[in-house]
Formats: sequence, C-alpha cells, structure tokens
Amino acid sequence: MEYQLYRNTTLGNSLQESLDELIQGSLNTDRFCDNVWTFVLNDVEFREVTELIKVDKVKIVACDGKNTGSNTTE
Amino acid sequence: MDQNNSLPPYAQGLASPQGAMTPGIPIFSPMMPYGTGLTPQPIQNTSSLSILEEQQRQQQQQQQQQQQQQQQQQQQQQQQQQQQAIATAAAVVQQSASQQPTQGASGQTPQLFHSQTLTTAPLPGNTPLYPSPMTPMTPITPATPASESSGIVPQLQNIVSTVNLGCKLDLKTIALRARNAEYNPKRFAAVIMRIREPRTTALIFSSGKMVCTGAKSEEQSRLAARKYARVVQKLGFPAKFLDFKIQNMVGSCDVKFPIRLEGLVLTHQQFSSYEPELFPGLIYRMIKPRIVLLIFVSGKVVLTGAKVRAEIYEAFENIYPILKGFRKTT
Repeated sequence: MEYQLYRNTTLGNSLQESLDELIQGSLNTDRFCDNVWTFVLNDVEFREVTELIKVDKVKIVACDGKNTGSNTTE
Repeated sequence: MDQNNSLPPYAQGLASPQGAMTPGIPIFSPMMPYGTGLTPQPIQNTSSLSILEEQQRQQQQQQQQQQQQQQQQQQQQQQQQQQQAIATAAAVVQQSASQQPTQGASGQTPQLFHSQTLTTAPLPGNTPLYPSPMTPMTPITPATPASESSGIVPQLQNIVSTVNLGCKLDLKTIALRARNAEYNPKRFAAVIMRIREPRTTALIFSSGKMVCTGAKSEEQSRLAARKYARVVQKLGFPAKFLDFKIQNMVGSCDVKFPIRLEGLVLTHQQFSSYEPELFPGLIYRMIKPRIVLLIFVSGKVVLTGAKVRAEIYEAFENIYPILKGFRKTT
C-alpha cells in the first residue's frame, strides 16, 4: 500500500512529529530517498535482556522489506 | 491641539458654578448638554445650557475668532474636533445616559479638549462631516450593549504560505544532502523538508516554488520559509526569496457552551451544511468575511480560509452572537 501521498497532510505531519517524539527527541535527521530511509540518532540506549549499550550517534539505513518491483538504485 | 493645554481656560472652567469642569477628571457633569461632546470645555461655561443656545453662542464666538490671526489654524482644529464631536454626539445620543460617565472615562476625553468654540453645526461649505483619521473614538455604531464583544480570541493553529526561490532546483541533490528531507518522486514530485524551529514542513518543487505549512503565526511562517530558503542556498542553489505570501490561516476557539446545530442549520441554511452522518461538525460558509467555520456541538469552532488574521477575528465576532442564540439549555 502506498501511503506516502499522505505524508504531508495534517495527519501525516502529526504522525511524523509523533515519530520524532517517540524517539525521545534524539532523532537528529531523517531522510527518505530512492525508497531508502536514513535516520541519524544521538544518545541512544540499546537495551537487550542482559546488555545495555549506549552510543552517541547511530545511523540507521533501512530499505523496504517487501519486493515492490521498483528498479534497483544505482 | 496646542490650545487644548493652555492653562487660563481651565481656570475659567473651574470657576463655573454649573460645575464638573475640572481638567483631568474624565467624567463630565450630567448637566452638560450632550450635544457638545463629553468633556468640559475649558473656556466657556457650557453646562446646563441647551444645545441650541450652545450652538448659537458658539457661532457668535466663532465669528469673533475668525477675525483673529490664527483663524486658519483654529478652523483646522475645529474641524477635527467638530468631527469628533459630531461622532461623539451621535454616539452619545444613541447611548443610554447611564453609560455616559463610563464613556467619558474611557479615554475619549482628552481628544475633545479644546479651548475655542466647538459647534455641532457644520461651518458653511468647508467642513467635511466625516471624522478625520485621527479620530480615536469608536465610529458611529448602532446602539449595542457593552457585553457584545465575546471576550474570546481565536488562536491561530496553522498558516500556509508560499514563496518563490527564483531558480530551478535539483530535488535529488536536496533530498540526499539536506538533513530532514523526504523525496519519493513516484508518489509526489516535491521534496518534503522539516525544521524544528519553528516546527514547520515545506514542500519544495523543482520549479523553485515552495509551500510552507505548520507555523502558528505570520511571522513564524515567514521566518520558517526563510530558513528553508537558506538551507537550499547552502546546498549551492542561487535561492532568492520572492513573492512571499500567506495563502491560508486557520484558527480555533471554544465558546464554552453546547450548540444546537440542528437549529442553526434550519435558520441559516443558505450558509450552513450539516450532515452528522458524514461529519459531526456544521460547515458554515460566511460571506463577509469569506471564511469557513466548522462548528461543533461541544462549542468548539474552527475558522479557516483567511488571508489575514483580522478576518478570523471578524468572522468569530460575527458568529458568536448567532451561536449564543443557539445555546443548548438542557
């Protein structure tokens, strides 16, 4: 389903802001280009059952999981 | 207005037996004829005279003054004061006597002080009857009780504005190099960029035109648009800031009482549309100003379609008495 059209509606903007707040204000940047999301977070805690890792900067690069049939990026 | 502050006339006013000529006290004696305005006149003893006598006496004095050297200056001042007095006289006539002291105290007093005669009859030929732009008092309005203004100010929630950056843009470059940008040309042919302060979103098109949404005030919208333009400029494009224009303003407020929407749509059917099965709010399309209001049973009101803030305020002041008439009493 393609819902990106609704990103710039009032609802989409509110959801985007909620996303930012959900990351507890540590979201530095977010980018979406060529179907690839890139996030840069600051002061992040990765918590697993036994371990706790704290980092100053995390870069998350995320591609679409489903095969949408779009052409591959260069 | 210089003559207003001259001291000797004040003393004369104080000496008058019919009273209340004290300068600086912004009330006037109930014995003052309302035709001459709300304030004591420093030179002459105007209280307890009928308007007609007052006008006759003023005209006589005026003829005398026309022989003096400061004739033109006085006439200009008199015209201004006269216009003020006419406006005030008309306003006073339409107001109840009990309101006069408050009106006098409301700040109209200082502007009506004059040391020369004031006539409510127009001078032949050379007196415009409309208040000069400097007239600070309320214009002639129909008699309305003081409680007419709602006391509620709609708060602006969203401003949409557009600006032309004046150069073609490469959206992929912007999306890849800018910090908070989305670009999915398959879905929408613009970069969606966000900034934190003021918290806004911009749509940036390859033509160089940009839409800025989400600001809460006109100044914030302009500031945000400038910030986006600076981002684009720093990425290497020769961005300018042309034709910034606010396209839409949205405001909201709460009248604090429930509203009978069914009644409202019956009496204002040429302006209203209310389909509760489609949307719970009544859509009121006001003609003047051209504003659309969403009115809800709870008493919350959303106003949109304004190009300037004053239209929002004016639309709400127009709708408030109507809504009061449809207040739910159960």
